[in-house]
Amino acid sequence: MDHVLKINELSKSFGDKSVLNDLSINIERNKSQVIIGGSGTGKSVLLKCILGLIEPDSGEIYFNQQIMDKKNRADIDFHSKIGMLFQGAALFDSLNVQENITFGIKKFETNTGNLSEIAVDKLRKVGLDSSVLYLYPSELSGGMQKRVALARAIARNPELLFFDEPTTGLDPIMADVINNLINEVIEEVGATAITITHDMESAKKIADKISMLYKGAVIWTGDAKDINNSNNPFVDQFINGDSDGPIKINLND
Amino acid sequence: MYRYIYIIPEAIGRSVLRMCASIGSIAIFFYDFVACLITPPIYIKSLLSQLVRIGYNSLPVIGLTAFFTGGVLALQIYVGGSRFNAENIVASIVALGITRELGPVIAGLMLAGRVSASISAEIATMRVTEQIDALITLSTNPMKYLVVPRVLAAIISLPILVIIADIIGIMGGFVVGTKSLGFIEQSYIKNTLDIIELRDVISGLIKAAVFGFIVAFMGCYHGYNSTGGAQGVGRSTTLAVVSASILILASNYILTSLVFTN
Repeated sequence: MDHVLKINELSKSFGDKSVLNDLSINIERNKSQVIIGGSGTGKSVLLKCILGLIEPDSGEIYFNQQIMDKKNRADIDFHSKIGMLFQGAALFDSLNVQENITFGIKKFETNTGNLSEIAVDKLRKVGLDSSVLYLYPSELSGGMQKRVALARAIARNPELLFFDEPTTGLDPIMADVINNLINEVIEEVGATAITITHDMESAKKIADKISMLYKGAVIWTGDAKDINNSNNPFVDQFINGDSDGPIKINLND
Repeated sequence: MYRYIYIIPEAIGRSVLRMCASIGSIAIFFYDFVACLITPPIYIKSLLSQLVRIGYNSLPVIGLTAFFTGGVLALQIYVGGSRFNAENIVASIVALGITRELGPVIAGLMLAGRVSASISAEIATMRVTEQIDALITLSTNPMKYLVVPRVLAAIISLPILVIIADIIGIMGGFVVGTKSLGFIEQSYIKNTLDIIELRDVISGLIKAAVFGFIVAFMGCYHGYNSTGGAQGVGRSTTLAVVSASILILASNYILTSLVFTN
């Protein structure tokens, strides 16, 4: 099987608190993989380790069969092959929509006219038009910010797309719009997608495969269509939102 | 009972360890800054916009402060000098005081309040809203994009601001001296020009470049390492202003000793 990303026995602790415990997961090429799990199970830390924002204590990450660590991440040119949609959009406040979308391609494309065309094209893909091109992030609604951030994420036609809680903070209708957009752009760009979320509606809608994290390790992986018949009590409790079950909530966490 | 004996040594030990950790962290940040400074690319557009923001936009506050400082200096020297029948040293002391000390120090402290705070708040907000992480995922080194242009702009801007502050400060003394204290205009100007040496101005400009570095570097350092949401942004802003101000005053003493002791 062709894996674009392989993660072997990844561990990460913060002080005494162990967040990732020998976590292993493989991401299939051109599939949409959603990672679910409750708060504090290590989803965000896993994503940050893959992106190189946090260095893991141990374990290996392979990108296209090449080991990827602090030393060779730049040689692999990993960041130019990915797109990332942050939870809060993370648009640059001081730049307008066009500058935000084309930020990652400016160094390769210096013709302002071309940059504008690229920005309009990416905006069209996320359901916006050129009227927002020169607006600043503070002038956009939460849903529009997410769309612009999505346009920025796909601007470089990435091989790998990461989505961090893409529907958090949005109303149900806007959340569904974003889910549909994610499906459309994944198909159009032809990228592999990795999404972390605890929104099960979103997970079911955008996932080909789903993995569940619990206490820093993967406890179940399967096709999205099988999630309701996983025969895993942890998964069942999580997707049904039961307070009773094997997952014990520590209210002090 | 014995537990209480250890409370004070423990607190001192914790503070010392925290201080050592901070010094180490600043040293690593400085190393990264130098590494980014000497390797391309330099973001020229960002540097130019920071020059406007740090330099040009600080002109009114630096000018006003320098003018009133020069005026007060003239008044105080006149009052103090009159006790020894030495009123006519006003022009000389204002000129030396402004160019050697007050011009650079006042400009540095005003910039610490205005620029260090704003740099720190801006970068800290970028940190807590994941904009710095976004820069990394867009193949951009945040140190090169955010820190280098700001620090370079402050190093370039502050000496220019200090030249302007020197001129306006001396003018403040001149206005007070001639309009309020009864000095003759020509002799005030002559006394000023006679006393100032190139070394006085150059030493002030060297100080200004060092203070510019301190102001922007501390703003960037505290903003970049901000944690803990909105409260963290506030804390980093306070720390940036306080540390920059203290370092300006401490380095001013060291630089004055080096330049004027021999």
